Amino acid sequence: MPKHDTPLLDELESGPWPSFVTDLKRQAEKKPECFDILGQLELSYRDKVTHWKHGGIVGVFGYGGGIVGRYSDVPDQFPGVAHFHTVRLNQPSSMFYSSAKLRDICNLWEKYGSGMTNMHGSTGDLVLLGTTTPNLEPLFYDLTHDLNQDLGGSGSNLRTPSCCLGRARCEWGCYDTQNLCHSLTMHYQDEIHRPAFPYKFKMKFSGCPNDCVAAIARSDFAVIGTWRDDIRIDQAAVKGYLSGEFAPNAGAHSDKDWGKFDIKAEVLDLCPTGCMWMEGDSLKIDNSECTRCMHCLNVMPRALRPGLKQGATICVGAKAPILDGAQFATMTVPFIEVNPDTEFAEIIEVIEKIWDWWMEVGKNRERVGETIQRIGLPTFLKVMEITPTPQHVKEPRSNPYVFWQEDEVEGGFERDVIAYRKRNAQ
Amino acid sequence: MALSKDELKANILEKALNGPKAQLYVKDFYACDPDAGPRDIKNAANDLVKEGKMTFWSSGSTTMYAAQGRAKDEEHR
Ligand code: HEM
Ligand code: HEM
Ligand code: SF4
Ligand code: SF4
Repeated sequence: MPKHDTPLLDELESGPWPSFVTDLKRQAEKKPECFDILGQLELSYRDKVTHWKHGGIVGVFGYGGGIVGRYSDVPDQFPGVAHFHTVRLNQPSSMFYSSAKLRDICNLWEKYGSGMTNMHGSTGDLVLLGTTTPNLEPLFYDLTHDLNQDLGGSGSNLRTPSCCLGRARCEWGCYDTQNLCHSLTMHYQDEIHRPAFPYKFKMKFSGCPNDCVAAIARSDFAVIGTWRDDIRIDQAAVKGYLSGEFAPNAGAHSDKDWGKFDIKAEVLDLCPTGCMWMEGDSLKIDNSECTRCMHCLNVMPRALRPGLKQGATICVGAKAPILDGAQFATMTVPFIEVNPDTEFAEIIEVIEKIWDWWMEVGKNRERVGETIQRIGLPTFLKVMEITPTPQHVKEPRSNPYVFWQEDEVEGGFERDVIAYRKRNAQ
Repeated sequence: MALSKDELKANILEKALNGPKAQLYVKDFYACDPDAGPRDIKNAANDLVKEGKMTFWSSGSTTMYAAQGRAKDEEHR
């Protein structure tokens, strides 16, 4: 396969940053099809349109996901990428793996594919880019038998669940994200490997509201750690921050001199609900007003810690713009315990209530967040058997979606219209 | 009364083989047994794929079903 002229792509090598163009050129020494990736991309830059087609019937036996068929629409010019399927591997929870495992995966991909990867795709998977149909089964055999790894989800499947580092490395974890992520991955193997829904469904798990896996923006089912009691305050450490003994933000942002730590400007005034104040040099918090935004804890991690009654908030329905615009997830379950002793039965119950409703009423290619918008949050909350709280309502005037039900109104909805009109006659 | 699994599978396969649409969403099969739950329909359709009578066709973001031979095949065009 010949090298193509790629003047537009070559410009991408000129900046100070690492360049995927340089990577592709280096890899092309070993895998000449990479020249055709470059050639086809250059053509796309000129034509301002993609030359990849995706979709098809490719897969491995018994699985209905994990492989995404990909084809060039200009195969005569770029035969090396005529068939260039994507393989998704289920990443270990929190993406913890040894360098030995990484080497094994890279070697496997040098053997059966182009060697190009995308680490990690936005679902979390290790994404292996570019192989042909005959290579799929042998790749899958080695992957499952020698590497003890599995494919991830794609299509209308449950997508590979993913989680933050959580308690493995982070003191803010309000539940064990890895345990929950791994347990649900094992529990839902059938849904991950075979299509199950009107469209894709993603689950992500963050240990605290910092939400390091961006669950609230990227998943249909976001489990975000929180606490229901009070933020733990170490007043001695607060004084340490005031005196300059401890660097705010654990020393982050120290590349610039921001001057002496100013607790009023940097913490109190930035609390979104204005629920913090100082009495002398003691810090006070009205915890009933705290929205768990994490700002104060992030600035003063030695002084402030999450409370001890820990669990999670479940938000439902985020999505990127495909059919409709992008949307964030809606807070649905304000607080739920994350309990490994019940094998997370409480959370599984919430998941399956959502699935049963969405599989029934969701349209083809409609994410659950769109179904909720189309049908309405009041109906969704009823299906979920959740009593609306003020936190479910964003703006009472512009989306007054919490309505009275007939049985909650004295006398019901029946009334004597004629008598009413008489009384209110103009 | 919901149909037996075999009756349901026969209805699904009939629709996939002889229906006007070559590729169908799982929801298109819901009418094959109005009394069955979405999960039963999905499991029956997935069974037919396992048995080699139907195939999946996936765009990468959605998955559809087709009777063997009726799916759009990008590879052999
Ligand atoms: C056939 C005639 C009308 C119909 C069907 C109608 C219908 C409605 C509806 C459905 C709302 C929204 C209620 C809600 O969201 O809770 C509304 C709000 C409102 N309408 Fe009308 N309306 C009519 C005539 C008028 C007229 C003639 C005026 C003023 C001269 C008017 C002034 C308002 C105002 C100020 C609101 C906002 C009330 C609020 O935000 O609380 N409407 N109307
Ligand atoms: C220079 C003229 C005006 C300005 C700058 C103005 C501005 C506004 C603004 C900023 C709002 C709030 C919108 C929101 O909540 O998003 C509003 C609401 C409203 N305005 Fe005006 N307005 C003007 C004239 C009028 C007139 C002449 C009328 C009626 C004859 C009127 C009736 C209303 C009503 C009924 C509301 C809704 C209040 C509610 O939330 O229930 N406005 N106006
Ligand atoms: S989401 Fe919270 S618990 Fe998880 S790694 Fe980030 S800061 Fe730590
Ligand atoms: S977590 Fe956020 S809302 Fe709560 S007290 Fe701290 S700054 Fe305020």
